[in-house]
Amino acid sequence: MKTNREPVITGTASAHRPGLRVYLVVWIGLLLIVGAEVALTYARFSVGVQLAGLLALACVEATIALLYFMHLRYERPSLFWSLIPALVVVLILMNHFLPDAVRLLHQRVPGGGP
Amino acid sequence: MTSLGVGHGAQLEANPYGIQSKKLGMWLFIIADASTFGAILFAYGYLRIANPNWTRPFVFWPTIANGIVMTAVLLTSSLTMVCAVLAAQAGRRAASLRWLTATMVLGIVFAALHLREWFAMIGEGWRLFQNPLGGPVQFGATFFGITGLHLLHVITGIVAIGVIALGFRGGRFDAGHVETAGLYWHFVDLVWMFVFPLVYLMNVR
Repeated sequence: MKTNREPVITGTASAHRPGLRVYLVVWIGLLLIVGAEVALTYARFSVGVQLAGLLALACVEATIALLYFMHLRYERPSLFWSLIPALVVVLILMNHFLPDAVRLLHQRVPGGGP
Repeated sequence: MTSLGVGHGAQLEANPYGIQSKKLGMWLFIIADASTFGAILFAYGYLRIANPNWTRPFVFWPTIANGIVMTAVLLTSSLTMVCAVLAAQAGRRAASLRWLTATMVLGIVFAALHLREWFAMIGEGWRLFQNPLGGPVQFGATFFGITGLHLLHVITGIVAIGVIALGFRGGRFDAGHVETAGLYWHFVDLVWMFVFPLVYLMNVR
């Protein structure tokens, strides 16, 4: 099953691959963000503020993981531009249409059939 | 044009992304899977916000403390996976296999902690459509549904890493395969970065 038919491509550009030290810093940073999330939870803000804060921290955490652990920072920009904007648009559309679907449920006429 | 000509043309065509096809395939799977998790987390989020009397069953000990440990274990497993990829690319096969084994062990610890928590909740009366605290019954469905789908990904990842490790030890797989498995494992970690705050921390009493 050796991949003889693959062109001579070595996954991520290894010349730009960071060393273990960078990954250790990233790992510690991610743990600190988890700590910040727990601290934010017990600060007892309103549900809306808590949700916004936790989502923001989770997005920062995910971005760091994408860029460093998943090496997106070291790939060709074409990979990023082909994948991530499409995903973001899908998530935004979900956010837009899902509450609309819930609103439509409440507009049904009682006893008006299925 | 003959079929032979088409085949050669396809093989000589340059990859616009500069990565192996298996890695591109994994990226496409990750994007699709991210949409799946995005859909269920959005659905959960709207349910959670739309119900003012939503059940908040979790206390710091043991649930949140357990969740923090699970998160730390999963983040550490991502670090060991990175070490496995670095070692594989440097040609240090034995070291890579050790790091892959460490990643699998951490994944098993995560799954064990998760299942222990599930069984404790089931023992308290939680079911998919049963809330022992008397609040909205959707809590059980969303909690077990979201965490269950994630746990399924973790277990799949452990098996996949095991298969890759065996193939890598036998020389059938190369560093590219290890890196591709690593991409999947980091994605599992990335999903948990949203599940822990949204499903656990948002439901602290």
